[in-house]
Amino acid sequence: MAELTVVGKPVTRVDANEKVTGEAIYGYDLVLPNMLYGKTLFSTKAHARIKRISTEKAKAFPGVVAVVTGADVPWTHGESIKDKPFLAQGKVRFIGEPVAAVAAEDEDIAQAAVKLIEVEYEDLPVYVDPEEACKSGAVAIHEDFPKYRKVDFIVPGAHANIAEHFKLRTGDVAQGFKESDLVLEEKYFVPMIQHAAMEPHSAHAQFDKETGRLTIWVANDAPFRALHEIAEALGMPKEKIRFINPLQGGGFGSKGGLKVEPIAVALAFHTNGRPVRVKFNREETFISTLTRHEAVVYSKTGVKKDGTLMAREMTIYWGAGAYAEKSPTVCIRGSLPAPGPYRIPHVKVDGYAVYTNKPVAGSYRGYGIPQGAWAGEQQMDEIAKRLDMDAVEIRLKNIFVEGDISYWGEQLHAVGLKETLTKATEAIEWGNKPHQIKPGVKNGKGFACIQKPTRSPTTSAAGVMVNTKGDITVLAGTVEIGQGCNTILSQVAAEELKVPMAKVQMHPLDTDVIPYDASTTSSRSTYHMGNAVRRASIHAREQIMEAASPMLEAKTQDLDCVDGKVFLKDQPQMALTLGEVVRRKFGPEGVVRGDGSYTYEIGKDLDLETGHSDHASAFYMYATQAAEVEVDEDSGRIRILRMSAAHDVGKAINPLNCVAQIEGGVVMGIGSALHEEMVIDQTGKVRNPSFLDYHLVTSLDTPELISIIVECAEPEGPYGAKGLGEPGLAPTPAAIGNAVADALGIRIYDLPLKPENVYWAIQNKKKKDAA
Amino acid sequence: MKKKVTLTVNGEEHEIEIEANRLLLQVLRDTLGLTGTKEGCSIGVCGACSVIIDGRVVSSCLTLAAACAGKKIETIEGLAEDGRLHPLQQAFIEYGGFQCGICTPGQIMAAKSLLDENPKPTEDEVKEWMSGNLCRCTGYYKILEAVMAVVNNKIDPDFAFRKREQTAKIQSLDVYKSVAKTN
Ligand code: FES
Ligand code: FES
Repeated sequence: MAELTVVGKPVTRVDANEKVTGEAIYGYDLVLPNMLYGKTLFSTKAHARIKRISTEKAKAFPGVVAVVTGADVPWTHGESIKDKPFLAQGKVRFIGEPVAAVAAEDEDIAQAAVKLIEVEYEDLPVYVDPEEACKSGAVAIHEDFPKYRKVDFIVPGAHANIAEHFKLRTGDVAQGFKESDLVLEEKYFVPMIQHAAMEPHSAHAQFDKETGRLTIWVANDAPFRALHEIAEALGMPKEKIRFINPLQGGGFGSKGGLKVEPIAVALAFHTNGRPVRVKFNREETFISTLTRHEAVVYSKTGVKKDGTLMAREMTIYWGAGAYAEKSPTVCIRGSLPAPGPYRIPHVKVDGYAVYTNKPVAGSYRGYGIPQGAWAGEQQMDEIAKRLDMDAVEIRLKNIFVEGDISYWGEQLHAVGLKETLTKATEAIEWGNKPHQIKPGVKNGKGFACIQKPTRSPTTSAAGVMVNTKGDITVLAGTVEIGQGCNTILSQVAAEELKVPMAKVQMHPLDTDVIPYDASTTSSRSTYHMGNAVRRASIHAREQIMEAASPMLEAKTQDLDCVDGKVFLKDQPQMALTLGEVVRRKFGPEGVVRGDGSYTYEIGKDLDLETGHSDHASAFYMYATQAAEVEVDEDSGRIRILRMSAAHDVGKAINPLNCVAQIEGGVVMGIGSALHEEMVIDQTGKVRNPSFLDYHLVTSLDTPELISIIVECAEPEGPYGAKGLGEPGLAPTPAAIGNAVADALGIRIYDLPLKPENVYWAIQNKKKKDAA
Repeated sequence: MKKKVTLTVNGEEHEIEIEANRLLLQVLRDTLGLTGTKEGCSIGVCGACSVIIDGRVVSSCLTLAAACAGKKIETIEGLAEDGRLHPLQQAFIEYGGFQCGICTPGQIMAAKSLLDENPKPTEDEVKEWMSGNLCRCTGYYKILEAVMAVVNNKIDPDFAFRKREQTAKIQSLDVYKSVAKTN
């Protein structure tokens, strides 16, 4: 490969100026001419029939323009199961479900009118525990589940509340356990948490009766999916719907799918063409948008005395909340690699996505990997301990390496796991373990390994335009959610067209003009959209070379491109700028446009009976994180002294961005390890829907962090790149859990590792030791 | 009941008529169109709405607008002068102190109020001071590096505002040296 000029360099971000000056316009900053303000009435019951709704008083309130309920919008949507109404239809399934909405001249009027809507409910049994919800005798949360439209990979479970049952079957686990010298069986729990993107959710919508067009302004991370889902629900042709993306103030998975959008759309059909904005506050964001799946994980593992893994059986209950949203695919892609990045001859996994009467669980950075790792990686350590083996050694004996056939039947390549393991553990001086430095305080070290697939197969398309000034405009549907995609994609275009970065700009995201992209999720963008932008740039470059060939009286193969110029390889002074070539060929306002698209061609589809596939993912991301902690025995408080995070990114297109993703991911992972949980009582009410009671990590809680980039090139990726958005937080809780167990000699099975949980674990151990 | 008040924001006087219960955050964003000040929690916990009033950083979501009459209000929009970024703004770019950027105006205003008063804080003092400004994206490392770069005068004197290609300066890029190729 020719030497890279800008790919691989830590260039500063292209979205820097507007973000440090306050000029950047985010979703909720947007004010449209003649705009109305929407407010929502949320269900106060977790599971109930709606006996009556009366909206007369609200409608009569001065300044109110529209009041809508489920009766006005008889539509349902959902990514893979069409189960969610725009506004509640006949019953409610969680506290926070939108029941009715008001559009008014200002927000205060809308809020006052919402309070005038009367709803009478008749209670139904409430299920807050996914295991309870799928016991025989449990009432169906969705009576009509069998009748819902579903995509064809959905395998419903035996109970009506099981939206998806994923099965993985390899070898014969019973035989594997029989041949094992040690078999360990444990139950782990991961609670529901929230993304807590700093910008709360909002959406604007406008319906133009004349043209029949619906326009939605929303910071959604998958505008093409959202457009498709709304078109499908409303029975509208896709061309009639347009999504415009303002900037997004964080997402982490929460801003895909439809949450606030359906409310804005419902209102927009009743405002006589006026645009309406629906903006959730923080509490509304907590109770009504998306969360991360709580998970109950049963894990049973059998090993030989020498540490060779023989069999692993896992049963995972994924708490889907009241609607399916992403649960079927979280269940599939989270359950499939849950047994960990190891060679295991006998594997059995059953993943169940179970409806409950809680807020809806959706995609969340990591997509099911943290939950599996919390169980699997702690159990690996527990096994090592019982076998009196070093935790690194037992991993090295079993981890995936280049060419291994995984337990789902796929041959793996570009496996950088071993290097991440070695580097991460070396970085915290694994072999050197002081266990007690201060009295009353115990020290420990631990680590965890993960492997993460990406959503496959998917498509990204892109356009690249070159004007007569040689400026490059990139049209790409990847959403800048803070991850830095605009910088990465600009680097790719600059690299291929050999222009300085300053010449490249990203076109704003508008589905009317931007080519299709599946989504900004699953750490897929650098790889998929990177490939698409690269191809589009090459396509543009080829057209420019062809146009320049007669101008420079040379064959295209004798031409080269550097620093914004096309020139003769052996006579570099014979040169034209890119802009000049475009102008001469297409006139003063001419433009050259290159197009490119990338689809990962999947092999055999996932077999629904065995979970096997010869290409479950376009690529796999590997990582190991290690932690050194100190635990105060009197208070149960954990302090993380330092952490290391080694991530195989394939190729770091921008190392600054890679380090930034790792740092942000690890700290988010620390929050989920130590204190984050949505506390939900037996009635289905979220008890801590604010940043006062739901604790996020602050600048005071961050440990020393050593970020390590490992580059094990993925041949299909652009310049060898894979992805990095999600894995940053995936192994973190398990690494910390292992360090705590190392410090205390006590295994804690439930997250978060908050002081009272740790304290009671210590007390119980003391009691047991005394007895 | 509406009330006439004069607010001085970034040196400019605005005569406005507002309800007595209007919050400064609402007035800045909705009445004056200064949307650089952000809202994250509405209850004074996240710091996204931080502005400086008479030299002290406050949460504008908890401050009544009418109570700010006659006081000097500074927001993110007033920081860059004549196309020159404030050193903190520049440092946030050079050291990668933001990702989605929604918390950034608040972070910068909080840091500014600290440095205005104490130009040479220690790293621990900065950490402590900035703990009232939540960020879900960065993990805080690069925010702290950016602030410390200003404290230690480590920002580029030749930095060009609005130039789009600059090489980031971050200590943690030392780790990049440890990049190794497998295969
Ligand atoms: S919005 Fe004011 S502190 Fe969060
Ligand atoms: S940069 Fe996104 S919240 Fe701080």
